[in-house]
Amino acid sequence: MSSKPKIKELLVESACEHNKSKKGSCNAPTPGATTGGCALDGAQIALFPFADAAHLIHGPMSCVGGAWETRLTPTSWSGRDLTQTGFATDINNNDVVFSGEKKLAAAIDHIVANYAPEAVFVYSTCVPAMTGDDIDAVCKQKSEQHGTPCVPVHAPGFVGAKNLGSRIAGEAVLKHLIGTKEPEETTPFDINLIGEHNNTGELWRYRHLLEELGIRVLSTFSGDGRIASIRTAHRAKLNVIVCAKSLVSMTRKMQEQYGIPWISCSFYGKTDTSKSILAIAEALGDADLIERTRALIAREEARLEEKLIPYREIFAGKKAVLNTGGNKAWSIASALQDLGIEVVATSVRKSTEADKAKAREYLGENAILMTSPATQQAKVIDDTGAHLLLAGGRSLYTAIKKRIAFTDVNQEKKKSYGGYDGLLVLAEDLKNSLQNPVFELVDRKAPWQQ
Amino acid sequence: MATVRRKSGKPLQVNPHKLSQPMGATLAFLGVDRCMPLMHGGQGCASFTKVMFTRHFCEPIALQTTAVNDVIAVLDGGDYSILESIKNIHDKVAPELIGVHTTGLTETKGDDLRGVASKIDVPLVYVNTPDYQGGLESGWTLTTQALIDQLTEPCDRVDAQKIVLVPHVSLQPIEVEKLRDFIESFGFKVVAVPDLSSSLDNHLGEKQASLSSGGVTVAELKQLADAAFVVTLGASVKPVGATLQKKNPAIQHRHFDHVNGLQGTDALVAWLLETSGRDTPPPVVERWRKRLQDAMLDSHFSIGQTRFLLVAEPDHLASMAASLREVGGKVALAISTVDSPILGDIEADQVIVGDLEDAEKMRDAYDLIIGNFHTEALAHRVAKKAVMRGFPNYEEVGIALKNDLLYEGGAYFLFEIANAAERMREELVHHERERIKLQGAA
Repeated sequence: MSSKPKIKELLVESACEHNKSKKGSCNAPTPGATTGGCALDGAQIALFPFADAAHLIHGPMSCVGGAWETRLTPTSWSGRDLTQTGFATDINNNDVVFSGEKKLAAAIDHIVANYAPEAVFVYSTCVPAMTGDDIDAVCKQKSEQHGTPCVPVHAPGFVGAKNLGSRIAGEAVLKHLIGTKEPEETTPFDINLIGEHNNTGELWRYRHLLEELGIRVLSTFSGDGRIASIRTAHRAKLNVIVCAKSLVSMTRKMQEQYGIPWISCSFYGKTDTSKSILAIAEALGDADLIERTRALIAREEARLEEKLIPYREIFAGKKAVLNTGGNKAWSIASALQDLGIEVVATSVRKSTEADKAKAREYLGENAILMTSPATQQAKVIDDTGAHLLLAGGRSLYTAIKKRIAFTDVNQEKKKSYGGYDGLLVLAEDLKNSLQNPVFELVDRKAPWQQ
Repeated sequence: MATVRRKSGKPLQVNPHKLSQPMGATLAFLGVDRCMPLMHGGQGCASFTKVMFTRHFCEPIALQTTAVNDVIAVLDGGDYSILESIKNIHDKVAPELIGVHTTGLTETKGDDLRGVASKIDVPLVYVNTPDYQGGLESGWTLTTQALIDQLTEPCDRVDAQKIVLVPHVSLQPIEVEKLRDFIESFGFKVVAVPDLSSSLDNHLGEKQASLSSGGVTVAELKQLADAAFVVTLGASVKPVGATLQKKNPAIQHRHFDHVNGLQGTDALVAWLLETSGRDTPPPVVERWRKRLQDAMLDSHFSIGQTRFLLVAEPDHLASMAASLREVGGKVALAISTVDSPILGDIEADQVIVGDLEDAEKMRDAYDLIIGNFHTEALAHRVAKKAVMRGFPNYEEVGIALKNDLLYEGGAYFLFEIANAAERMREELVHHERERIKLQGAA
């Protein structure tokens, strides 16, 4: 039987509120007016953080050429970091005409012989999906031959966008890895972190706090993740989704198959970090644990507040416009509010219905939810008198024209703003932006223009 | 001369530096003013490319996709997705040119690009660039040929002062500008095709990436055929000479594999003097030649004791190796992305088509690495140092303004490499001293 997930089922997720009002999903991208990555991109983002697994792209160089070694997802894995190792079959004319299956099989052999990974993820791409390479069969045969799980990931780019690819990755792990191994021991407080990619080390900002409370992270999907751990994920007591709507299908299915309940959390900013740690304790339902959690939160918040004192004065009365995607529309907003900055507008262009509702809840009635930030943000800055624009690099010019401070909050940032300590990093970056003269200077009139 | 291995002999690429043919096509179209490159493929093909160039150049990149999905892939022959894309692009912006280039996806399904293009009445150039063939250089060259083929009007007279300059893909925007200014200083008028020097040269402008923000204009492209000369620079673009000559057989073609280092630049200057009828070059050119001579002497001691690994596109390898060889640098290993006729002429002990896994295995052969940003991590793994050159480079800023060619850039290049090699050796000496001190204390 094919291991290809049914795309239609993945697109209509019953656990998503907004799908109750919709009959089906219409996800066809608009030709000539589409931005954003494809399903393959999304699957890579979801799985690449497994540093002990090899990630083999069965496709031409567009699918991997500029993209490998760009994931800022660190690992504590002591072996070779395979997140940062690029593998591609680099298919050519011959493979298109005569099938690339043999090449794929030989590529897996090469990887197992030279890199001894804990698993090999094999990513299908558009061209072999069209020529009909049987990736399932190759993976099955190689898994048996090498005793190393070879997991087919059927996310060729043309099936949809990044979000769908992330769901397909979840399906692949659920089908081929979860439940294939028993943990050496279990505790009453075992959790899985789902959708936490440890981007710029965000997981490491709060995992030690969970551990201090006796909450064990049994496995992560997939930040600082281990294949051996994710195989035991079915024994967790709770699934915690971290800022990743796309993986709701995975946790719902784990609830159905293994009876694991799930909650959704964010670890951006003080308020959300505290809320989330407490939510985990409450979901685990142990009175003593909840008590200890409250004490820990009080301690951490007090420690943070003291360190934030020097910043309070700088940020007092400052207004910010936020233009970023998805759940960041509210999660970063919450962090800014923790710093005493008023968020007067945020972008909801790429947000889900639930994210939009949450943004409104966090920002209050008067805030502007921008649906077309590229055209709106300049005017919004004028109308609100904002001092700071937080956005991706493309918006830099708007900030310069308006002569206000700019901070890049896109995925390429190299530092983590997560957890309690991440807020200090964010505070320092924002301070540096607000005090930097460059935004006023660079658009200065030239001597011959005056 | 070098031993050359033209095939990798492996069933896969591990830590690849090869980039795809459509990526080269996109970049070429970005060298045309007010152009919208339109990649005919899945949305990811364009997205991966856009992200790469955005991060490399630290600039917004104009690029759209026909966003072929699984249903379209089966039902459409390209008509719907291309026509619909053009309509949607024109709803928002008014490009001077739309540059349609294909991918493996649309080539596998066999779209008839020429047929579709014939139904379109907006300015458009199309090119077939499947990503299971060729690489960055061939995508750039095929696109340059398509621009001339489909836009340039035939002509039967020549302007004796006009030169069409065709740079290879690995030249930085500032290098194209330096080269044009250099040739113009001998009394010529130069049109570069493609021309990244005014579109991706890190200038502050009103850039929202809606269209390419500089480059050769469509009007200039139409009128290329009255040039007296076409100068191709880099083996990969050599065929473009004949493409332009088809429009006007009176055009003379002059080819240079590179214009780096003393001899490379001398060859260009000799030709410019002969062609312009001048006895001497402009004074500044003479001055820079003297500075390069001095730079060669100042840097030869450091570079002359260094064994190099070069990792780059074929034409880029040839130019860097030539510069280093002139001051005694030993190019122990040159790793190319793809095969090319130039590989046999590269001044290196060994030239291979390969990846960074090959580089890792041959670590004993070299001391200093010159290559793209992936060689930084390679350098850490093999305990060496790396100097960044080539695509992509996500680690450094100011790449578009790096000038390695002609007398001037050649001097800067040698200084940078000599200093890097010296610092690397200083560090080794320092570690050695520390080790001896520790031994003494123990």
